[in-house]
Amino acid sequence: MLLSMALRNALRNRRRSLLTASMVMLGVACLTVAMCWIEGLFGSTINTAANLAGHVRVVDADYARREQLNPLHENIPDSAPLEAALRAVPGVEAVYPRITMGVTATVGDEIGEEFGLVQGAPIAFFEGPLGVPGRLASGRMLQNDDEAVIGKKLVERIGARLGDDVVLLGQTQDGSMSPAKVKLVGIVDLGNALQNRQIFLTIERVRYMADIPGGAVELAVYGADRDEGQALAALAKGLPELEGKDVKSWDQRPPFDNIMGLLSTVKGVAGFVMVFITGLGVLNTMLMSVLERTAEIGVMRAMGLRRVQVIQLFVFEALGISAVGGVLGAVLGGLGGLWLQVRGVNLGTIVDKLPATVPMNSTVYGQVTPEILLSAVLLGLTMAIVGGVVPAFRASRIEPVEAMRHRR
Amino acid sequence: MLRYLLALFVALLPFTARAATLDEILSKVDTNMTYDTRETVLKMTVTKGDRVKVYRMHSYGRGADEAAVEYLEPARDKGTKMLKNASDLWMWLPAVEKTQKISGHMLRQSMMGSDMSYEDMMQASAWRKQYGGTVVGEETLDGRKVWKLELKATTPDVSYPRRLVWVDQATYIPLKQELYALSGMMLKSWIMSDVKDFGGRQFPTRMVIEDKVQAGSRTELVFEELKFAVPLQDEVFSMRWLER
Repeated sequence: MLLSMALRNALRNRRRSLLTASMVMLGVACLTVAMCWIEGLFGSTINTAANLAGHVRVVDADYARREQLNPLHENIPDSAPLEAALRAVPGVEAVYPRITMGVTATVGDEIGEEFGLVQGAPIAFFEGPLGVPGRLASGRMLQNDDEAVIGKKLVERIGARLGDDVVLLGQTQDGSMSPAKVKLVGIVDLGNALQNRQIFLTIERVRYMADIPGGAVELAVYGADRDEGQALAALAKGLPELEGKDVKSWDQRPPFDNIMGLLSTVKGVAGFVMVFITGLGVLNTMLMSVLERTAEIGVMRAMGLRRVQVIQLFVFEALGISAVGGVLGAVLGGLGGLWLQVRGVNLGTIVDKLPATVPMNSTVYGQVTPEILLSAVLLGLTMAIVGGVVPAFRASRIEPVEAMRHRR
Repeated sequence: MLRYLLALFVALLPFTARAATLDEILSKVDTNMTYDTRETVLKMTVTKGDRVKVYRMHSYGRGADEAAVEYLEPARDKGTKMLKNASDLWMWLPAVEKTQKISGHMLRQSMMGSDMSYEDMMQASAWRKQYGGTVVGEETLDGRKVWKLELKATTPDVSYPRRLVWVDQATYIPLKQELYALSGMMLKSWIMSDVKDFGGRQFPTRMVIEDKVQAGSRTELVFEELKFAVPLQDEVFSMRWLER
């Protein structure tokens, strides 16, 4: 009976209810689009970053302390026993040794000053977690130690073409000059300019270049899912072979140890602002409704309607209006999110300034998920409760006698 | 009046004597350390913590600014050549058959991961043209009488704006140096020893350079063969030699 009364009340002043439902719809739609955008922005970046760095990463403890300087001499000299020990950990699906080093790259007679970042790893790493074959703009994957796949930006800068010999000049772990000549067999587009300055070589080639025979700077460990990173890291830390090593999951290392918290905060703040603003609209509508119906509430109270029933009556009315607005808002916002998912937004060169550990694409696509749509509708209903409860309590405190007088 | 002038002259006498001494010391140091031509085979041992790397190289020098170096060891660096001419340095990389030019501030970067810069290794400028300063005093260093000099750069294009130098009074060899940046931070220490006579010229055949910024870094340079005033063809200091 209360539900049908609430519905009838909502329809009594249709224009006002429509206005309130529109406000909720707009709030929920904006929130949905914002959440789809955030999910797309961070979700794909985090996924790529976790794939790039490994669900768990093992490095020498001294390397971890001075990581920004990329001290190649703080390496894991004989990595094979550690790789074998890690592969035996339950849940570990793959372990890849890696070496990353800065080089200058050039084609032609004189060695130039174009910077590139060499990634040395087994070819299976490039084909698996990094997904290089799927992002090849032209050419093919590397197949041996003399071949290289290079990022689009670097290829453009040095003016290289498929089949060209590219000369790389880096340093060994001791600081000696270390030149190498490799054949460009593939050009890859990884989304932003910094990522597209990478040079993918076999681990054996880079071991020679860095003069770390049989060793690695990092061991990238993968489980079934990136969310298992922390559990895998905890298991790996227990291995005696890893004593003195820095073992961390992708979300325990900068910048993602901070970004994950930031991501939750951003989502929370966006949700709070939307709930607050739209809740104010619902509050206004319901307060007006209480004022208009003071005498009516008095009569109903005199006829035996209990206070809690008065509260329920107004909360149901607010919930009804917000449910309609929330569902419509989720549909509208979902469509906006789908547009972002298909078209994307080009952020231009801003993303090029991000560190290499944050592999964000210059075109950011939204991501619509059922969780986002459901949480948007739930937030719409939260708005109803936030905006409806205060007027409902106010209505429940009205004394029947005073309410009758109010009518006179 | 004459008495006052005489007193003033006597008072200034020590200073004129000290200035002359600095000039004389630097002049004799330069006579030992600079050369018209030089040919040498060097062994360079670079120690970084517990890692040791040994290089051997054949080096030619002509005047202050011309030098040519060819690496003999280790195997991965064999055949690498460096040619310096004034402010430019070219490096021949046999692995890729390419020439890399190194210039400007890069010349003050570490050479092959050692504690010496390219300039340290391949330049032999006369201190008298680059530095002024004072004789701080006389000391004993490892049982030898030395002058302690404080040198400050008089030209901007030097690697080390300030040097503290301990010059052996018997051989005029700078047995010990502390090299400072403009900020006052000590960058390197440089010890010279095993001084030998080369036809009247004194020259240290062992040097130890320590990087004071990077702890645990040390480079030892031993001159295994050393000849001065050798006839050197122009071709040695040419790009043709470099890429041969």
